[in-house]
Amino acid sequence: MDQFDSFIGFARLILLALVPYVLASQGTMLSGRTGVFNVAQEGIMLLGASVGFLVALYTKSLLIGIVAAAVAGGIIGLALAYFSSTLKMDQFVIGLALFFIGLGASSLAFKLVVGVTLQLPRVPTLSNLRIPLLGDIPILGEILFNQNALVYFSVLISIALYYYLYQTSWGLELRAVGENPKSADSLGVNVVLMQYATTIIGSALIGVAGAYLPMVYTGVFTQGITQGRGWLAIALTFFGGWRPQLILLGAFFFAIVEVLSLRAQIVGSAIPYQFLRTLPYITTIFVMIYAFRWTRVPAFLGLNYDREKRSLS
Amino acid sequence: MKQTFISIGNTLIPYLVAITASFLAAGLFIGMMGFDVLKAYETILLSSFRSPGAFAQTLVKFVPLLLQALAFTIPLAAGKFNIGGEGQLIVGAIGAAGVGIVFANLPIYLLLPLVIIAGVVFGALWAAFPAWLLYRFGINEILTTVLLNFVSFSLIDYIATEIWRDPAAGHPTTVPIGAGGELPLLMERTNLHAGFIIAVLIAVLVYIYTNHTSAGYELIATGANARASRAYGINVRSLFLLSLILGGGVAGLSGAIEVAGVHHRLIEGLQSNFLLLGLIIGLIAKGNHFGVPFVAFFIAVLEIGASSMQRTMSIPGEMVFIVEALILLFILLSDLVRKK
Repeated sequence: MDQFDSFIGFARLILLALVPYVLASQGTMLSGRTGVFNVAQEGIMLLGASVGFLVALYTKSLLIGIVAAAVAGGIIGLALAYFSSTLKMDQFVIGLALFFIGLGASSLAFKLVVGVTLQLPRVPTLSNLRIPLLGDIPILGEILFNQNALVYFSVLISIALYYYLYQTSWGLELRAVGENPKSADSLGVNVVLMQYATTIIGSALIGVAGAYLPMVYTGVFTQGITQGRGWLAIALTFFGGWRPQLILLGAFFFAIVEVLSLRAQIVGSAIPYQFLRTLPYITTIFVMIYAFRWTRVPAFLGLNYDREKRSLS
Repeated sequence: MKQTFISIGNTLIPYLVAITASFLAAGLFIGMMGFDVLKAYETILLSSFRSPGAFAQTLVKFVPLLLQALAFTIPLAAGKFNIGGEGQLIVGAIGAAGVGIVFANLPIYLLLPLVIIAGVVFGALWAAFPAWLLYRFGINEILTTVLLNFVSFSLIDYIATEIWRDPAAGHPTTVPIGAGGELPLLMERTNLHAGFIIAVLIAVLVYIYTNHTSAGYELIATGANARASRAYGINVRSLFLLSLILGGGVAGLSGAIEVAGVHHRLIEGLQSNFLLLGLIIGLIAKGNHFGVPFVAFFIAVLEIGASSMQRTMSIPGEMVFIVEALILLFILLSDLVRKK
């Protein structure tokens, strides 16, 4: 409760809530920039949450759990890349099928390993990592530099992705694949390799975003733990115009709405908590009205490139 | 005649291959976990046919699955994805329960139609919002329909805990609707209700609409090639709007039937996983409205088998959900083989 009342506590919560949105959305953006539109986020996040939780429970190491969640996400990413990049299947339909598989597998794995118990097993939540020196700055240090490792990771990965995409020639090639794969191909860029790499890494990030939920928020895995964050991440990716730096900024909006809705539910108000809970979804729908107007989507998003075909699309 | 047999065979063979492959994959896994594979197969496939009661139970399950699949495939015919059938079901159920509770004293010939119509109208209205956003602003319908599902979860929680709460129930549940709002039973000593007839009727109507009317032809033409259809003079945007609202109406109907036929009240969680199964059914049937009811029945059989397997063999029912997703995946792959 007092976490909400102080400015520092409030700012810290926003950074805490930022992470799953940033990771899932950057993962979506990364494969989207090579034309692979991933819509399996919700399933990948659930799988990451379940696998990450179970592995952490049995190895007693959150780090190994996070790595396992990334691997589980990467495997779904590999499947998505194979079906879309190699087999040229409808990306949206394949994404839905992988969403179903991730959802089913997450729940199946949990039931097979844990079984039906009254006492849900718990993992310890991720502890804070105070950065030396920077963490000692008054107020700012407490807000920015005394967080769990994944908070730093999600900000650093956003900066790294920005640098990679816009400041390196590899990044230029990657973006070219999503805009015009035929010219990228004719310039010697390995389109298929780019799509595989971005889809696997992107899905691994989404898997970690899922593992974050039990490891930071709850300590337990429950079936609906993602609460639509995977779908919200897709909306955030459009909101951020498929650019890593704007996605990071846009994620603040999503995190603020989430924390405010939570705060209002706890503090209590004249508005029933059920309606406050809908705040993230409703604001997202209204945000989309504006986001879809100005967003420039990668030109080849959702389409499959076939070098044997004469015309694109 | 021979030709039709060949074409039916060509359609069915990939399905048989897909089902066999999915079962083999699941069997391998079930075997590795140390369960009796053959007994699991038998339980999944045959539980529905062991007694009249089990068969009636399968048909009761078939009703929402069929309607949820249609709520997805009607807009799909126009090339639009309605992933909001869950929310439309819930809001339809709220409308139906609301009418059934407020006008509880009306006789059956008035109350029952009102309850059903309220479900349809509420479901259609819930779909009309994303449909309008698509029509007016060009907002992609996939995300808006999905996000509204989460809004509906809060709505039903509010209604069932604050408005018409049944204080005797531990779980969020409303008081029962009037007896006149209940769908009559079709078979003695089972829970098969008249909603089954409504659902089958709707499936037939949808099939006639999309496959045998000019309006339905415009819908399918739009789905096949929206740009060409627009050039030909079809009002493509209005068709998107219409198809999504129709889908919402059908999903709302499934909610009304769950209230009027199964629970006789509003219960939080009554949507089960009907949306996901409906999507799987619609995609396995490839949006073909002749095939949807058959696939829906097959999935209903698997689902009844899944709960029986979970009960008698302690194999989690999610195993069967994965089998269903694998069938879909193999069906999609078989298309690829045939194209080559």
